[in-house]
Order: sequence, then structure tokens, then C-alpha cells
Amino acid sequence: MKLYRPATILVGVLFVLIGGLTRLATPDQVYDEQNIKVVHGTIGEPLDYEGTGSTVKVTRIKFARSVLDSSDSDGKKPLETNGIYVAIEWDAIRGDRKPDLTNATLQADGGSVYQPVEGLSHSGLDFPDAGYAKTGTVVFEINPADMKGLTLELRPTMLFNVYNSDITVDLGIPTEAIAQQMVDGAVAQYIVEDAVTRVAS
Amino acid sequence: MESLDEVIDAMIADRVIHRHRRIWLLVIALVVVAVLVVLATGGWKEKKGRTVPTLTAPTTVTAGRFEYSFTKAEIVQTPKTEYDEAESKLKVYFDAKNVDTEEHESVSIDSQLMLFVPGHGEENVESDGASCHDDKIGWVLVYGLPPESCSMTFKVAPDFKADVVEIGVLQEHYESDNEALGANDKPYWHNEDAAAVVRLSPKVVIDAGENK
Repeated sequence: MKLYRPATILVGVLFVLIGGLTRLATPDQVYDEQNIKVVHGTIGEPLDYEGTGSTVKVTRIKFARSVLDSSDSDGKKPLETNGIYVAIEWDAIRGDRKPDLTNATLQADGGSVYQPVEGLSHSGLDFPDAGYAKTGTVVFEINPADMKGLTLELRPTMLFNVYNSDITVDLGIPTEAIAQQMVDGAVAQYIVEDAVTRVAS
Repeated sequence: MESLDEVIDAMIADRVIHRHRRIWLLVIALVVVAVLVVLATGGWKEKKGRTVPTLTAPTTVTAGRFEYSFTKAEIVQTPKTEYDEAESKLKVYFDAKNVDTEEHESVSIDSQLMLFVPGHGEENVESDGASCHDDKIGWVLVYGLPPESCSMTFKVAPDFKADVVEIGVLQEHYESDNEALGANDKPYWHNEDAAAVVRLSPKVVIDAGENK
């Protein structure tokens, strides 16, 4: 029996060609991560968590030279800084499914990534139970030299790679001059109120 | 019926097998004894001395994403009270600065980044964690801001006394995991190893309990 008939070779060549064609047909990778939808917004804009019915909104940001928990006793000294504190007041409305745990960070154009301050018990960002809404504050210590383009990023931490939203909020500091104004106008002390939960209307 | 040849062959084979039997047994016994001796004397591993520099405080060490300026150390003794046993801890003071030029990310000092090295063959003591900025545990150090004064505590025996203590400083490396094994090729801070050993002379301080 003849092992390599012309038809056998033809089928082999065809397979190779089809393999090449499918590679050509795949679209260029558009996203860094295909399971993440980046939701970008500004202060005052409720931003949707895909598929959970939950939204989160930054209501106000406030720059301060020192911060203090509202429940601290009278004698307690406020937290001072060599940089500047920025308190981000947020409002979160919870849908029927809880969004994955979010990790709040601030990013600036200069490449800095800021993490929330430790040592303030009221500072944080989380979602209430279904049907409720919550307001609270998350405080960051930042470097006044790298504030331009400050953006709040709420990135879900996932155990499995499911379709999810990455929320970014532009905090409205487009230039160095505006950043300087924010620093100059910072209040001497900011009191961090405890988060308040209410029924979502 | 076997032939004479076969009988002779069998005899020769028997001799050959048994001729060196005693020598073989001796050699095997010697190998076993040698292994036991090597194990008993501490293994085959080459004993190396310290391969990182030993510095004396006050000194500055740059290790991974932090720069530490060691200042002083204290042995804080808490006397026995009605409710608590006497205890002691070693407290090391330093100024820490975030020098993460790779990611520029705010980060707190991990408790695993320093070790108390008692020496004399005793095990190294892990720290209870760092606190900075007026003793705030887990304080986040911001890249680009001036150093914060921090301290790290280590549990020691209640009657611990020392003229000089040695603190091992570990450094993390900004590198990625092995891509060939299917890991993400993005580098990150991990893989800590020894960077330096700092010698400090601790002062004994008695904590009478005002802070409790």
C-alpha cells in the first residue's frame, strides 16, 4: 500500500493553511484584560457596577493637613502629615448582588499609587446589605508633588476571573496649578465621620 | 545427566562469586560508617560565615523598597502585676522612607522584613510588626514623602539582657516569577533575602504601665 498518496499530503497542507488563517482572523487584542470593563466618570456621577445593580459615587473631596476620627476622645491628637491628606466622601447604593470586594487606590499622572491611610477607624469604602445605601469617607495620604491627574480606582479583587467592572473616578486636578491651589486651600483639620447606612430610595 | 564440564563451570562460578565477598562487605560497611560520621558531624553542607555586611547603628540601610536609618534600641521590661506575668520586648527605632522607584506605591512595612538575630545557635526571632507615625500599626508609607519615625518590636525572654543586639534586615526584589512555568511575567516586589545586619546597643526601659 502506498503510504503518502497525493490526497493525504493535500489534506495535511490544508490543515496547516487553516491554522494560519484562523490566526489571521482573530482580532487584535483591544483590552489589557478582556474580563474587565473600565467605567470612567467624574465627581458626582453615579457609576455602575456591571451586572450587580450597584452604583458608587464620589460626592466630595476635601484636602486637609491633619485628620481625626469623629469618635476619638478629646485628648487624642490628630494625625499630622508631611504631605497632604485627601478625604474622599462616597455614596454607594447596593443592588441585589454584592460587588466583589474592592480595593481603593489613588493614581496620579506622575506614576504614584496611593493606598488608604491606616490608623483611622472610620476610613474605608464598602457596600451595605442589599437594598441599602451607604455614605462614608476614605482618606489617603498623598505627596503634594504628584497630584496632577489624581484618579480614584476601585478595582475588584477576584478569586475567579469573572466579568467585572473597574471603576475610575477623575478627581478633577488636570494641572499642577490646580493641584497647588488645592494644597494651599487645604483645611487645617478634617474630621472623618463614621459611615452611615440608609434605605436606598 | 550433567557433564563434567558443567560441574566444573559451576564450581568456578561459585568460587568467583565468593572470592571477593569479604572485601565487598567491608567496603559497604565502610561507606555506611562514613555516611553516619558525616551526618553526626553536621552534614556535608559547607558552613559559610555571614555574607552580608554587619553595620553598627546609627546607620542607613537601603533594602528593597525601603530606606531605614537605624537610631536606637530599647529593652522594654513590663514588671509582673497582679494580672500579668513579667514580659520583655526588644524595640528597635528607625526612620523609614519609601524608595520604591519601580511602582511608586504607598506601602506599609511588613513584619517579615526584619529579624532579631540572637546568635549562639538560637533561632532568629520574628518581629511583631512595624509601627510608624506615633505608633500606628501598619502605617502606610507614601513614596516621595520624607522619612517617618518607626519602630519594630521583638518578643524576648523576661530576663533578657544584652549589651549589643543584632537585627537582620531583609530586602525584597522587584522581579517576576518564572514565566516558563506559566506564571505571569509581570514583576512585583517579593523574594526577600538578607541585606544587612545592624548592631545596636539597647537601653533598658521599664514600662510601669502608663501606656496600658
